[in-house]
Amino acid sequence: MVVYLAAFYAYPLYRNVDLSVRHYTVRSFVQGDAPFSGLDNYREVFDDPTFGPALGHTALFTVASLVFQFAAGLALAVFFNRHFRLSATLRALFLVPWLLPLIVSASTWSWMLNSDSGIVNAALSMFGVGPVNWLTSPDWSLVSVIIANVWIGIPFNLVVLYSGLQAIPGELYEAAALDGATGWQQFWRMTFPLLRPVSAITLLLGLVYTLKVFDIIWIMTRGGPVDSSTTFATWSYRLGFGNLVPQFGRGAAVGNLLILLAMALSLLYIRTQRKQRRP
Amino acid sequence: MNRWTSRWRTLLGLLFTAVMLFPGYWMVNVSLTRDHDMRRQPPMLFPVDPTFDGYRAVLKQQLPYLGTSLLIGLGTVALTIVLAAPAGYALAKLRPRGGGLLSFVLLAAQMIPGIIMAMGFYAIYLNLGLLNAWPGLILADSTIAVPFAVLVFAAFMSGIPEDLLQAAYTDGAGTLRTFWSIVLPISRNAIVTVSLFAFLWAWSDFVFASTLDSGGRLRPITLGIYQYIGNNNQQWNAIMATAVVASIPAAVMLVVAQRYVTAGVTTGAIKD
Amino acid sequence: MTLLRTGRRVLGATLISLAVTAGTTACSSSDAPGDGSSGGSSYTIWDPYPQYDDGSAWVQLLTKCGTDAGVSIKRTAYDTSDLTNKALLAAQQGNSPDVLIVDNPVVSTLAEAGVLTTTQENKLDVSAISPNLIAAGTIGGKSYGVPIGANTLALYYNKAVLRAAGVDIGSVKDWASLTAALGKVIAAGKKGITFSGIGTEEGSFQFLPWFWGSGADLRKLDSPEAVASLRLWTDWLKQGYAPNSVINNTQTTSWQEFATGEYAFAENGTWQLGNAKKAGFEYGIIPVPGRDGGTAAAPTGGEFVSIPVQKATGRYDTSKKLVQCLTNTENSYTTVSTLNYVAPTSAVQDKQVAANPELKVWVEAVKAAKGRTSDELGTRYPKISEPLWTAVQGALSGSKSPADALAAAQATAAAATK
Repeated sequence: MVVYLAAFYAYPLYRNVDLSVRHYTVRSFVQGDAPFSGLDNYREVFDDPTFGPALGHTALFTVASLVFQFAAGLALAVFFNRHFRLSATLRALFLVPWLLPLIVSASTWSWMLNSDSGIVNAALSMFGVGPVNWLTSPDWSLVSVIIANVWIGIPFNLVVLYSGLQAIPGELYEAAALDGATGWQQFWRMTFPLLRPVSAITLLLGLVYTLKVFDIIWIMTRGGPVDSSTTFATWSYRLGFGNLVPQFGRGAAVGNLLILLAMALSLLYIRTQRKQRRP
Repeated sequence: MNRWTSRWRTLLGLLFTAVMLFPGYWMVNVSLTRDHDMRRQPPMLFPVDPTFDGYRAVLKQQLPYLGTSLLIGLGTVALTIVLAAPAGYALAKLRPRGGGLLSFVLLAAQMIPGIIMAMGFYAIYLNLGLLNAWPGLILADSTIAVPFAVLVFAAFMSGIPEDLLQAAYTDGAGTLRTFWSIVLPISRNAIVTVSLFAFLWAWSDFVFASTLDSGGRLRPITLGIYQYIGNNNQQWNAIMATAVVASIPAAVMLVVAQRYVTAGVTTGAIKD
Repeated sequence: MTLLRTGRRVLGATLISLAVTAGTTACSSSDAPGDGSSGGSSYTIWDPYPQYDDGSAWVQLLTKCGTDAGVSIKRTAYDTSDLTNKALLAAQQGNSPDVLIVDNPVVSTLAEAGVLTTTQENKLDVSAISPNLIAAGTIGGKSYGVPIGANTLALYYNKAVLRAAGVDIGSVKDWASLTAALGKVIAAGKKGITFSGIGTEEGSFQFLPWFWGSGADLRKLDSPEAVASLRLWTDWLKQGYAPNSVINNTQTTSWQEFATGEYAFAENGTWQLGNAKKAGFEYGIIPVPGRDGGTAAAPTGGEFVSIPVQKATGRYDTSKKLVQCLTNTENSYTTVSTLNYVAPTSAVQDKQVAANPELKVWVEAVKAAKGRTSDELGTRYPKISEPLWTAVQGALSGSKSPADALAAAQATAAAATK
């Protein structure tokens, strides 16, 4: 296990750190004699005009995706927790977005959100709302990728939270109902607290996955127009791969910052969770 | 529950599902649309004049890709379980030194963006000659699932009652035997869970596939789809048809497998 | 981790019911034939034509060239945007392909990195190649490969749409008359022009005819001429003469818009000729007009066949045979016909026009075209192209004025090419 970890996680990571502290030109990348340049790449990244927007978009993308995914997932989980006709079948169908390769779902969304021939704008125009340039306007591109990402993330949240709900014994609800608690009270006083550990792991994994979301944004907008939907993940890719001349050093630096950010956030999150548990 | 509420719930559920699956429907719609109608304004809500060109193309060209994806998916599941189940058990029960640290490292491992991993793999594979071959892709895809799987196994196996294991030891079973004949069978549900996740991740992986296997003889379906998004042409009906063909069996299995969920829940309730 | 440990009980139960698809994975199997055995000596060729599969004429041509040279060919197709990185990584690991076919603007970059051999070293004959085409692969007097073929951009137009709008194509001679024609088309209820303004090299490629057609120079992105060219595009968008989707359009999606038959004009390349015949309406082709008339220089497109540096220098001889098989005057005709390109030599160009008069306008266009890395830009071109396409995106999406966008681009480009 340790060997596996070392070979398949540590090595790429080491390589990436190494890339990020050297001054690469295309030539020195091939010849392998790039001079050590310390933290120059990081400094350049911090000074880059893309840095601020990318940080902001990463934060907004992650928080908005998590909040909406979780809220929708939880609401649906509670909804499906009651048995009714077709409930099981419908719940299974909710998993379909998950089965689709990201490249397909992202393409479908960009199709639907196309300014001129997309179904979304066609529907909006029926209500007299003018065409929204979902993917091509700097004001909407981030919103669009968040919508698509929330859609893709709902099944994961639904499945995990639903299973959490199933684990809460039904007698508790019967007792509460006898005490005259309304559905709303039951939810806030019992369901929500009991679900906390499951919620915690769902959000934590969600955080880790959302931070590094790349395919959806890249396929739908390539981070554009003009950086308006660029996150750290897409920026790193663009620096390293998206141009005619790759800037491996800086791409790697951005990638490492993303990993650091993810670690810091999860540590913070775990810590607050722990504190909350001790009253 | 009141019959009316039940009916309303069904209705509401249908509505939610319809909204949720609309992009899926749209995919089917596009898959049946003729090339020159693709950019109609406004778009056609129903495939009025359907074409099956997309599906013909898929059946002619894509079946091998589907097979490869299946092979890679199953391979990834197997490798993930072989690696993660013992590791999870070790973390949960044998409590090696630095176990807490290891868990954190595992979580951290999930944070490395796929493209960084892919770069590292590319360099390794190029030298090992594993590029453009399916075993390499299985190995790479397993890295997406293994950390998650270890955490799941650890969480699950630590719930196995201690006395059960003690009993086995008393009967003279070694660690290995206990693991094989007691722990694994009990953990069946965790295995299934992990398998599901590992399979889905491997099935939909694109970054690894495009970096490590874009020139191979056996390429997964995600690359098969990508082939239609070529430099000079995008055959949308073929792209979407591939996606439809690729997800139908999986969706059907999901629905059929519903009873396993119920079964799983019951087992869980008894155990708790 | 304490989080996991405490949450374990509910979590454990949770995971059980996650067992959604117990039966899913067990019931299917697939046969996996092993990798094809490569007997004898095998030579690797990388190309950027993933659209051609094993049954295509292109791959058959490669196989035949291999057979003629007495070796087996292992061909790998990459997406154009991936190929540069793959080639660099492979060279870094000392594992380059024997023959590399790569997009012309990156040849100078790969050459500078020491990945490619020069034609002096590998003794490939490039004397017959048109000077404006070989220029993209020439640095410091040395050329690093042979153009496999060339393509460029021009304007396709839909005859029926123009007729309905009362536009005589002969009147379209400069930017003003083109814009006027678009206005008439819109007034007649049809759509104007579509092109690709995506934030990639494709966006720069499509913008360059207008940029150069204004008299602007890539060494000065914020000149008044350059601003005028970007304003032309931006105004088209504002007036609805071009669809908003051009911001994300690739040349392919742009073509699909034209193929609906609704658009009057589309800026696209030689390679769409095949699709144009399938579109089901009458079309014509004119060169991209310059700002005040004449023909604007369009950028040359197309790939170079090159021989990467190998440790085993003995392999060069066979690699050379393979390259010659694809590019020799006798074989070039087959290659360019296979790829829908214009030949890089005038002898073969004449042969193409003789066989298909429709190609005449394209041959003329290719002769007038200009390499992106010319003007002694070389490896600086990519560092200028990226700010340029960013500026195009900024202006088209309305987040910056054309002047501001290009001023920022010039600043970035100047810093990057210092």
